[in-house]
Amino acid sequence: MNTLRSTAEPTSGRAPDVSPQSPWRLFWQVLRRDRLAMGGLAVLAVLAVLALGGKTLTEWAVVFDPAAVRLIDKFRSPLAEASPLLSEADRPPGGIYLLGTDELGRDVFARMLQGAFVSLSIGFVAVGISMAVGIVLGGLAGYYGEVRLGFITLDTLIMRFTEAMLCFPTLFLILVVVVLLPPSIYNIMIVIGLTRWMGTARFVRAEFLSLREQDFVVAARALGLPAWRIMFVHMVPNAMAPVLVTATIGVASAILTESALSFLGFGVQPPFATWGNILADGRAYIFDAPWLFFIPGLAIFVVVLAFNLLGEGMREALNPKLRTRR
Amino acid sequence: MRTKRLLILTPLALIAALLQSYYWVPTYEDQAGAGGQRLHKFIEASSGDAKILNPALNADTASSRIVDRLFDGLLDLDENLALRPRLASAWEITEQAYLLAVPGAPGDGAPAWDDAQTLADELERAIRTGEIEVPPDLLREVEVLAPHTRRVEVPASGETPALPLEVRVPARLRFSLARVDQDFFTRLAPVLGEGYAERVDYGAWHEPLAPGARAAASAAIAAEVPVFEHNPEILFELRRGVRFHDGHEFDSGDVAFTYRAIMAPRNLSPRTSDFEPIKQVEPLGPYRVRVVYKRLFSPAIMAWAMGILPEHLLNEAALATEMDARGIVGEARESFGLRDSNFNRAPVGTGAFRFVEWQSDELIHLRRNPDYWDGPPLYAEYFYRIIPDALTREVEFRTGAVDSYTPEPYQVARYSEDRRYRAFSSIRTGYTYIGYNTRRALLADPRVRRALGMAIDVEQIIDYLIYGEGERVTGPYPKTTAWYAEDVTPLPYDPPGALRVLERLGWQRNADGWLEKDGRVFEFNLITNNGNQSRRAILSIAQDAWKRIGVKCNTQVFEWAVFLKDFVNPGDFDAVVLGWSMGVDPDLYQLWHSSQSGPNQLNFVGYRNARADLLIERIRREYDHARQVEAARQLHRLIAEDQPYTFLYAPRTTQIMDRKIVMVAEDGSFEPLRATRSGDLLYFLNRWRKLDHEPDF
Amino acid sequence: MAGFLVRNFLQRLVLLVIVSVMAHALVHLAPGEPNEVDPSNPRMKAEDVAKLRAAFHLDEPLYLQYAYWVRDLFTGELKSFKDSQPVLPKIWERFLNSLPLFIGATLIVWTLSFPTGIHAAVRRGSYYDRGSTFVAYALISIPGFFLSYLVILWVVDTFGVPVIGMRTFGMEDAPLLHRGMDYLWHLTVPSLMSAVAGIAILSRYVRSQMLEVVGQDYVRTARAKGLDEDTVVYRHALRNALLPFVTMFGLMLPELIGGSVIFEQIFAWPGIGRLSYDAILARDYPVVLTVNLIAAVLTLAGTLISDILYAVVDPRIRLT
Repeated sequence: MNTLRSTAEPTSGRAPDVSPQSPWRLFWQVLRRDRLAMGGLAVLAVLAVLALGGKTLTEWAVVFDPAAVRLIDKFRSPLAEASPLLSEADRPPGGIYLLGTDELGRDVFARMLQGAFVSLSIGFVAVGISMAVGIVLGGLAGYYGEVRLGFITLDTLIMRFTEAMLCFPTLFLILVVVVLLPPSIYNIMIVIGLTRWMGTARFVRAEFLSLREQDFVVAARALGLPAWRIMFVHMVPNAMAPVLVTATIGVASAILTESALSFLGFGVQPPFATWGNILADGRAYIFDAPWLFFIPGLAIFVVVLAFNLLGEGMREALNPKLRTRR
Repeated sequence: MRTKRLLILTPLALIAALLQSYYWVPTYEDQAGAGGQRLHKFIEASSGDAKILNPALNADTASSRIVDRLFDGLLDLDENLALRPRLASAWEITEQAYLLAVPGAPGDGAPAWDDAQTLADELERAIRTGEIEVPPDLLREVEVLAPHTRRVEVPASGETPALPLEVRVPARLRFSLARVDQDFFTRLAPVLGEGYAERVDYGAWHEPLAPGARAAASAAIAAEVPVFEHNPEILFELRRGVRFHDGHEFDSGDVAFTYRAIMAPRNLSPRTSDFEPIKQVEPLGPYRVRVVYKRLFSPAIMAWAMGILPEHLLNEAALATEMDARGIVGEARESFGLRDSNFNRAPVGTGAFRFVEWQSDELIHLRRNPDYWDGPPLYAEYFYRIIPDALTREVEFRTGAVDSYTPEPYQVARYSEDRRYRAFSSIRTGYTYIGYNTRRALLADPRVRRALGMAIDVEQIIDYLIYGEGERVTGPYPKTTAWYAEDVTPLPYDPPGALRVLERLGWQRNADGWLEKDGRVFEFNLITNNGNQSRRAILSIAQDAWKRIGVKCNTQVFEWAVFLKDFVNPGDFDAVVLGWSMGVDPDLYQLWHSSQSGPNQLNFVGYRNARADLLIERIRREYDHARQVEAARQLHRLIAEDQPYTFLYAPRTTQIMDRKIVMVAEDGSFEPLRATRSGDLLYFLNRWRKLDHEPDF
Repeated sequence: MAGFLVRNFLQRLVLLVIVSVMAHALVHLAPGEPNEVDPSNPRMKAEDVAKLRAAFHLDEPLYLQYAYWVRDLFTGELKSFKDSQPVLPKIWERFLNSLPLFIGATLIVWTLSFPTGIHAAVRRGSYYDRGSTFVAYALISIPGFFLSYLVILWVVDTFGVPVIGMRTFGMEDAPLLHRGMDYLWHLTVPSLMSAVAGIAILSRYVRSQMLEVVGQDYVRTARAKGLDEDTVVYRHALRNALLPFVTMFGLMLPELIGGSVIFEQIFAWPGIGRLSYDAILARDYPVVLTVNLIAAVLTLAGTLISDILYAVVDPRIRLT
């Protein structure tokens, strides 16, 4: 989990309440003892390698071509050999379909590789968007809550808006927006991101409300530091730990949401393969080509589980009450 | 510890209570055996629910499937696509042709005549002497109609407002013809002389008008009283003793009512355009109806295949009673129409099945009509189940809970090898195509479109994409009809040839391998709608195939509504993958006539060919089958030549049925099921039954 | 208290209007037309399309369309574009179908989560705890439709009984008890499937609440008094851990109408989720907007109820 560590380390350096034993080190020590979480982390490390490697091998240096249509070789089972009739350019590497082929004779392994990167980036970007929106709105509401805009306070405005957003059934919102925007992969990310920031916003607001009264913030304000500095340099890192947990689990559920959207026919469109749309397309062939259904299904299951277990481990490790009793 | 026990026992009890219900559910095997009950039920599954069970209003396939069971039309198409009598036991098509007696100057070399009677006499003489060639049995009677006055509404144009005009229509001649003849007035030319129609002076028919208004007035009058007018007529003899499901007898009033219901603007019927050519529907006693048409329009008779509504349940009085019962008052009463009636959820027709119940999105249940005039069906009950998910639909079929199933092409082979099932394959009356926007400079040249078509291996698409479940088509007509010109050869698969054609047109491969001309790469977008697997696959295949000849094609898939509104309707696209599902009539006006290429119209590829326009107009006015066939085939050849579409294939539909379902012949013996030429398997539904064993054949 | 209620009620009413306006704008701005005004239908001429558009008020300015919608909604005249049926009875009919599914799933979730969650908390760190953690997360991590297909195929292949739809066909003449049990069976599998994720989430939540409480002083005191473990856990700890769950009853309200499109789709269950899904696809604006409005009402009512419940069960909180 390189991404997590790289964000974690610099913040710990700047965090104002650096105790002799850095809380992040403590966190790591506890987390390391959690075998389920470490399992999840290992799976994700492998996945990260696969996704990056997949991106390289399917797009930059095309070894596995996920878009090559070989109608002669449709529905080959995993490990089947490619038909000798294929031209040299169309043959899969080694002449073997590792994970079989789909209804158009496309190499499932290549598509899964490509999908790994796409699915992961959907998860990360969607969560990134929802975290960003949530932190900004929650932070504004928490920090500038008392500023009056006409007849209502900023806090009321933002929180009422948040509540209004919560009033829409999520699926309704997603479907309407998916219909509104052309179905590109970026829009799916945006849609998933924009429909799940409300929890983060409420949560960050609550966190800010309590942080605002704490000594280090009061001191910073007394020093005359600009507000954005106080917010982003001093307050956000302190509210960060639980946000990271939410984000980790959020990635998992964003991947699931994408597959559910694909099931309803609103997922990411070709030429992008995601695990969600491979699974959703594959279900039609369950009796004829079960691997088209089981491979992406299991892949999603394993990865989402890994994110969830890691998130759970982080939550436990961050909870001081639980930690001390260990 | 009570709380603890409670906490543990409650879920256990709950789960046990839920799971024990399993023992009450009959297994699939029990169902099939249970007292033979299941054998008398026919269960169909569909992905979507019906919308509105009213033959005058429904527009979706699910509804029309049910409506076909419940209602009868006056006629329909039999298994060989010929007209077959239903509620009408017979009919006769004749024509009333009207000729305006233009007073005044004789034409070049034509004899002089002064009034309508003289003209009539002159024509009769000319026919007798053979000067005018009219087939002996065609003309039945000639009658002189006295001049009359009528009001004509002149629509507003430019600065002149709309005005009603008192018009003195001069005498006219009425010819009663034994059959429709679109060339009748051409035959009269030797007597009428050249330019007969131009000699009419509409301005003399009414009070003098300002010069600005005169043209508009003349146009309005000419539209209402043309010089030459064809009025085809159909005289229907109705079947006697047919009763609606509620016991009320069917008669000519119901036919006239059905016409009125469709034409009433408040009912918003989607069939209005089918019935628009009708001038009037006139009951002649309880068992005869005369339908008069405004103009020649040969496909018009097919409109009467639509189910006939019961007047006594839907007329003003009946609707008023319904509104009273439902407590509808005030403004809502004004707008209450056929669409709002509860009839649409519990319809009453004359069909082979009677309506029982409709649970939205779950099922529609029909029961045999024992008094059906054409003999009651053998099945006692008909269920239409709604199962939206394709996979669970298949599961239900395999277990025997559903009787018929339309598998995906790749499943057909597996099912047809299975001893327990029988597959019925029939070619559909539609086709899939790649349509090019001919307004785009890049794609305007037919040679370019041919080249693009030659680069695609259609045979391979048929073999591997749809597993042979389709046939190659070369033109716009369904392959099962006579209109289809069998002599047109499909485009060859010849990528090098395609490349040569493009090179001759000045396209050269650039360093990246793309074709380039005048610094522009050969690049366009190919789009299609979401939700159709094979169209999406064709998108990928075409992209791949064109890439091989250096044509850069970008593909995109859009949700149906967006696809139509933003791309197809405004004509803002380069190329589309789409399919038409066609009727069996030869009228292609809406798809191919150049007048239909505006925004929101169906000729969205912008096809324009004057010769094709003429043929299309001729076909819809032609009542003679042989001549219609000839013109239609010419049209087919012309369109195939121009290649506005790359015609791909007509898909087959394969229905899979339990082998135990058989058809009972007249003599009581069993025979295998069969479909009509148009692929309608349910055509013989009334003679089907399910046996408790597999038949020998 | 009364002041709190009135003020909150009014605030929510304003919010409701804002939500409905937003939804209305969103739906009408979305590209595409109601399916009924489908110009690609060769049977329809431009005049027919224009007629339909006029009948649906589609060419009026947005605020007028909104006004029509509100007027028709309150006079009960609101009709679906699709089949001209009044919208409210239509939604009510589907609601009655979805309700048993919702009740079944909720019962399963709530009864099953507590014992498993408490047990895991009490045995923190044991194999049971880690096992149940793993199982819970495994259950949340499977795409719902993937699991449902597996279960359907398994049940059909192994037991040979139907699971799709609301009933078995051919049982119209069976005794009431048989039909009732048949219905229960058809309800069981989809409710189990839609409960799966809920069980996993709620049992995790129960566990963490219990852990919070078990660390509190009064629990330690109870232990120190020498009470046996069950009494400590189930009488002293559980009662306090239950507090936040009371409020969740209010928050469940909107799920009543949310329904689950995916499960209703797979199990061919004619519920409200499918109604709104089909309505969105067909741009059946009256149905979409009304379902959305009802959902918003339930959400707002839910949060209000949960606030009140919280104040009722927790004396430290006072509503002002």
